[in-house]
Amino acid sequence: MSLENLTQDWSRYRNGIEEGGFHNYEHRWGMAIDLNACIGCNACSTACYAENNLAVVGKERFSKGHYMHWMRIERYWDEDQAKAEFPDQGANFLPMLCQQCGAAPCEPVCPVAATYHTPDGLNAQVYNRCIGSRYCSNNCPYRVRYFNFWSYPESAWPAPLNLQLNPDITVRDKGVMEKCTFCVQRIRVAKDTAKMENRKIKDGEFTTACAQACPTSAIHFGDLMDAESAVTKLWAKHQVKRHDDEGLPVSTQHKQNPALRGYRVLEELNTDPSVMYLERVREELA
Amino acid sequence: MMNLKLKRREFLQLMGWSTAGATLAGCDLPTTVTLEEGKEEVVAYLSPEEYVIPGVGVWYASTCLQCAAGCGIHGRVREGRALKLEGNPDSPVNRGKLCQMGQSGVQTHYNPDRLSKPQLRKDGKLVDISWDEAWKVLDEKVGAAAKTSGARVAWFTGTVSGHQAALIGEHLDALGSRHHFVHEVINNAVGRAVNQDVLGEAMPRLALDQAKLVLSFGADFLGTWVSPTHFATEYAKFRSGTRGVLVVAEPKMSLTGANADLWLAVRPGTEGMLALGIAHALMQSGVSVPDAARPAVAAYAPVKAAEITGISAQRIEQVAALLKQHSPSLVLAGATVEGQEQGYQAASAVMLLNVMLGNVGQTIVSSGEFPFPQLRPRTGNTRDLVAFAAAAKDKALDVAFFYGTNPVYTAPASLGLAEGLQNIPFKVVLTQFPDETAAQADLVLPVASSLEDWGTHVAAYQPEQGVITFQQPLMEGLYPGTPGVGDALLKLLKMREAQKYGAFNDYFSYLQNAVASLPEQYKASGLTNKQLWEQTLQKGLLTVDSAPGSLKTNVGEITLHEVKADAEYPLHLIPSPRLGLWDGRHANIPWLQEAPDQISKVVWDSWAELHPSTAARLGVREGDVVEITSAHGAIKVKVYVFKGVHPDAIAVPLGQGHEGYGRYANGIGANPLKILSPAIEARTGELALYGTRVKATRTGVHEELVKEGRNNISQRSRKLVVTISAEQFRRTEGV
Amino acid sequence: MRWIQLDRAKREPARQGCGALLVALALVWAMPASADTAAPASIKYPVAPEGAHAGKDVAQPIEFPHDIHTAVNKINCLYCHTYARRSKVAGIPPTSKCMGCHSVIATDKPRIKQLTEYWEKKQPVPWKKVHDVPDFVHFTHEKHLKKFIFDNDELVQNLSVDTVAPVCAACHGDLRTMTVAKKIKPMTMGWCVSCHEKNGGPGDCWACHK
Repeated sequence: MSLENLTQDWSRYRNGIEEGGFHNYEHRWGMAIDLNACIGCNACSTACYAENNLAVVGKERFSKGHYMHWMRIERYWDEDQAKAEFPDQGANFLPMLCQQCGAAPCEPVCPVAATYHTPDGLNAQVYNRCIGSRYCSNNCPYRVRYFNFWSYPESAWPAPLNLQLNPDITVRDKGVMEKCTFCVQRIRVAKDTAKMENRKIKDGEFTTACAQACPTSAIHFGDLMDAESAVTKLWAKHQVKRHDDEGLPVSTQHKQNPALRGYRVLEELNTDPSVMYLERVREELA
Repeated sequence: MMNLKLKRREFLQLMGWSTAGATLAGCDLPTTVTLEEGKEEVVAYLSPEEYVIPGVGVWYASTCLQCAAGCGIHGRVREGRALKLEGNPDSPVNRGKLCQMGQSGVQTHYNPDRLSKPQLRKDGKLVDISWDEAWKVLDEKVGAAAKTSGARVAWFTGTVSGHQAALIGEHLDALGSRHHFVHEVINNAVGRAVNQDVLGEAMPRLALDQAKLVLSFGADFLGTWVSPTHFATEYAKFRSGTRGVLVVAEPKMSLTGANADLWLAVRPGTEGMLALGIAHALMQSGVSVPDAARPAVAAYAPVKAAEITGISAQRIEQVAALLKQHSPSLVLAGATVEGQEQGYQAASAVMLLNVMLGNVGQTIVSSGEFPFPQLRPRTGNTRDLVAFAAAAKDKALDVAFFYGTNPVYTAPASLGLAEGLQNIPFKVVLTQFPDETAAQADLVLPVASSLEDWGTHVAAYQPEQGVITFQQPLMEGLYPGTPGVGDALLKLLKMREAQKYGAFNDYFSYLQNAVASLPEQYKASGLTNKQLWEQTLQKGLLTVDSAPGSLKTNVGEITLHEVKADAEYPLHLIPSPRLGLWDGRHANIPWLQEAPDQISKVVWDSWAELHPSTAARLGVREGDVVEITSAHGAIKVKVYVFKGVHPDAIAVPLGQGHEGYGRYANGIGANPLKILSPAIEARTGELALYGTRVKATRTGVHEELVKEGRNNISQRSRKLVVTISAEQFRRTEGV
Repeated sequence: MRWIQLDRAKREPARQGCGALLVALALVWAMPASADTAAPASIKYPVAPEGAHAGKDVAQPIEFPHDIHTAVNKINCLYCHTYARRSKVAGIPPTSKCMGCHSVIATDKPRIKQLTEYWEKKQPVPWKKVHDVPDFVHFTHEKHLKKFIFDNDELVQNLSVDTVAPVCAACHGDLRTMTVAKKIKPMTMGWCVSCHEKNGGPGDCWACHK
């Protein structure tokens, strides 16, 4: 019976690895974002708007936090310069998107299984299943889930702006949670194409909209299960591991060389993010 | 791709490029799910190309026209709709990358405020007319002018190049006029003049990736300077491997400044003295100074420069030492340097550093001469704006054509342009949108969007070799009858010189002929004209290499005067350009309005950046509305308190304050350009855009600034962005 | 000329895309029992999901006779619906495809005259959509065809309208018995899922939801 199938799979997806959860991955899409290269220019964010049918909400709704940018650039100022007259270095930019956690805090709290873990290692959001409880966004430490407080199709895409909408991804309606999908529609096309040609997906044959746009190529995207992929090599080079590669607890990175730049944001929360950041680099000239 | 027997529209149609706009009416409400049979129409292709498959996107190469940098684009088209723009990897300018403005090209194209019908002023009001009437009126009016006073016809455009520029030139020649005014607010005209005088080339190639240190005086090369996407790709190389050092000196932190290793808040208008101070320190450490510049360098010992610029003598000496240590380097001057009454002298002082450090020939190299003068870019400036305003005021013009620029919005009120326009009897505006200039027009001609049009373009900054980029329509025009810009120009030319241009059905066939008649030495051997045309369109560009020359180092005398304090207007107004809204032309793009400013993170608004000490003196905090008054007007803006601005400066971003530019732009914020003084850069005649003094006063009004991540200023000791030293980077990853 | 309801679809968050995605007019109806249209018994076909839909008769601008083309003239479904194996969307055959034959065949017939008129005026035929799935569903024809037709060696060796039709019929009914298409399968999620279970299709939500 399909219902049984669904509930069984659901419970497996919901369990963490320590409980024998479903982690029979086909792919594990992951990223590496180099903060030495990121210039904070917003190209990635706009690419995301164009690719993923993100609604423009306007000033008033923006002020209430109803904005929809799946990819945002956070900007911080150096804390040790709080007393200085001027910042003697630039800003700290942090592109922040769904970290596609391996042990995602958003998943187990969904009352209707609208968000779950896919065999590709993604935190999926099934829009037509979502009832809008918003538990998931409350539980997300990265603040990367966005809720449709309003129905945007009419206001955000007055004709003929609607002609730009990408038919490969749905337009979400009021009451639905949405978030970065690692451009799952592009993943799908790549998987379909590979399957049609009876081959495996080649590293670099597709990438996410943000990584494609980035003028400094700060964003790298690929399959962490493909040992030859550029992103796997970057993770290895910087000695960052998924915890279940070796069954390690997430927070224990055991980097042999702590001077390497790889880290994951808030990894001490045991979320096992799929996004590795490379530390920002600055000259010490002060 | 081509069939000369067909009109463009017909062949597009036969190719299955559909008018997607036609089926808009009668949309269901979003919540109405109708899967019911027979309720919807499915319209099949008539006779599609083999490669057109429903459900599969096709990518076409074209050129981005969102700014003048000339990036190549690939546009994804599905079912006749352009859906997404990405960079063209074959383009040496942007190498497959595209900035947020470029990507928003689709929203310029699909903008709901686009004009679909021509408008004519009747009884003082603009009313819709038919295309036939529009062309007729145009023929009559320009014809009448041609008979009596062709020399009193003018074109006023933004930066144009390629065959578009050639045709504008031909049109003016046909009329016997020499009035082609080219205007851009965001330009590097003063820098080009300095380059021309010192190096012998207006826009040499800058090898950012070869530089071990870049010292930028307000040149926002990652954001708004010359060719930002190109320089961002170069920056990535500059920051990898041995990792170059970036030092930025400017009165207000730009996007480039926000990525600096060392950011120096220089007193506005004193950048030239800072450059001389650094030159002096270099001289002291044994670097030779060209004779002509020696008196100027000698006059600014670091201690004196420190006094003037607010940058300590130790810092000045440190920067000089860094420059000496990291060779070759690259020193750049941007808008804050150039936009002063002594901008040319200050930019020359910056260029002097390159000469002293031996960068010319290493990181600054000749780009050669582009072989086709007709197609060379006419780069925009503000001198032409001033000249045009004067010509209008003096009743020197009878007919003016406007294209690609919105001078009524960008001109400082002190130039009196809006009043002057009343003296031009017939003003024709070619535009996609109703804007402030179109509102003053006598005839408004809607033109095709850049995604619907043919064209060729030549970027002012050529990164590798001479390249003509090609623009082709990604889809059928949304509004039938709306001509491409080239088509409109051809039509105008046919009205004057029918025998010469009658052979060309349209701009498309004109361009095809142009490619076919390319001099043989530039054609790849073994290609037929048809193959050449198809290959060029497919690639999006045509390379016409030219042998690079060699650069000179003609340093002249440099004379800088002290910047005097103004007791009544103590603050320097910085009308800062944004990568996003640019000079205001992108204020009608919802994605860009909602994209937070990179530094302040403000959306949908204007703001005034004030240093905390200045804000404290004025008794204002973030969100308080201040009135900024110059001798030429006043604007009201909310305060954004920010340490990355010099206490003597107040920075208001460009782009907002529109009154007639559509639903997304109107009524938001203020336009700082309006209150600029008409002061002129002494050598070049450019407007001194950064030379206006203002005062700020409290209004007592407070409104919250809408920002992304309202309180995300500090990481609060969380490990979000971690910074390591460059030394450690070089140890673990360096080459 | 226009193509499908592009715009409209995108204004409907709950439904997918632009009609472009799932327009599967045509194709054939699997009634392997029917004597004159039987496929070789050795060919393995998907276990068709149960369920029926009492579809409406949809009046088309031209009453296209699927039966004449397939049952009588034995033209393979994929000859006209060629996009089905190359795209997620089966699409509607372009008018040029019709005219490839009908510029010479049966030119005196009233339906062909109608068709010729559209062609000469360079107007697309305003077909009505019969089969559709909601906006939030990702369905791909090409992969289903690969699995059930092109990876089925026995079928490929006996490729004909009568061997292909039963595959198409699993979702569209046997069009060898219809003139214009009629929806006779439910095309609901449960119906899809039951087929996936019987034939080993993916059970992951994101395989089909977007």
